[in-house]
Amino acid sequence: MKKRKLIPIGEAAKLLGVTITTLRRWDESGRMTPVRKSPKGNRYYHWGDIEFLTSELSKMARGWAVSKKSFPEEYYCRFSDIFQARLIQLETLLAREDSTKNIFSLIISIVGEIGNNSFDHNLGQWPDTPGIFFGYDLVKKQIVLADQGLGILETLKRVRPSLKSHDSAVKVAFTEILSGRAPESRGNGLKYVRKVVAGSNINLFFQSGNAKLWLYGGSSELAIKKSRDNVKGCLAFITY
Amino acid sequence: MHLLRIKFMIIELRKFGTTLISRQTGKEAFLAFQPALEKVKKDELVEVDFDGVLTFSPSWGDEFLTPLLERYGEKLILKRSENPSVNATIEILEESLGKKFNVE
Repeated sequence: MKKRKLIPIGEAAKLLGVTITTLRRWDESGRMTPVRKSPKGNRYYHWGDIEFLTSELSKMARGWAVSKKSFPEEYYCRFSDIFQARLIQLETLLAREDSTKNIFSLIISIVGEIGNNSFDHNLGQWPDTPGIFFGYDLVKKQIVLADQGLGILETLKRVRPSLKSHDSAVKVAFTEILSGRAPESRGNGLKYVRKVVAGSNINLFFQSGNAKLWLYGGSSELAIKKSRDNVKGCLAFITY
Repeated sequence: MHLLRIKFMIIELRKFGTTLISRQTGKEAFLAFQPALEKVKKDELVEVDFDGVLTFSPSWGDEFLTPLLERYGEKLILKRSENPSVNATIEILEESLGKKFNVE
């Protein structure tokens, strides 16, 4: 199926296996927010949101990050070295594909920044299971990462104690140069991710705590909302 | 006739690997390269060549390029690259440092 950016509500309902009424209810409760071309216009849904809700990989990663559900060992990277090795395998595969041979370095660099953040910021202080979930589906063009670490808010509070909520912390992480690894003065990984997404066709869904964020390819606009569930560390879903 | 001779120390990044993404390996690479950097003479330029690098990221770049920029300033030259992850990384490092790299 050719990927379109916006899907009408009827089609979105079919793809998700729910009724139009359910989608309207999800809109009112904030579970899934559509785009409206005018205030009273029809509801349209981002293709990336549909992919996220129907992805088996994202269900597995979310199940682990939210409620510690187990998942197949093949997706688990206990140590950073395992992650690096599997990321290089993905790099080789993407470099061979016609559709990704020109952008594979951008995809690998943002996946590397997100995955390495999990290891760097939780080194020696994993509150729960150490390591990350790292899975990809080359056919559906999806990459998923998750961890049960401290999360963005706890990490950034070390250098900015005034931060109180997950959504404000996630916003700072994606927009301001600020490192959670004090006394380091640097911290540009997630700003880099935003920059790359803005200049490409890559989409990102990201959640830490109850703050969920969407970045859609070609736009630097951030959409941040509160989620009903709580991701213990961070969860990232990338499509390209 | 006198020819102006400019000496270069060339750092070929591919010698550190082709996927340069983690902070840890960037830091190790910079430390490992210290003996070679000590041989750089006062009037020499230091050139960084990205040829052969498949993926480059801000974490690795921050550990390797940022201290080189602090040490050599305008005498540090980054060789122009076609790789989009190299170029996006240089831009974000410049934004975060508030300084420009010499790219030629």
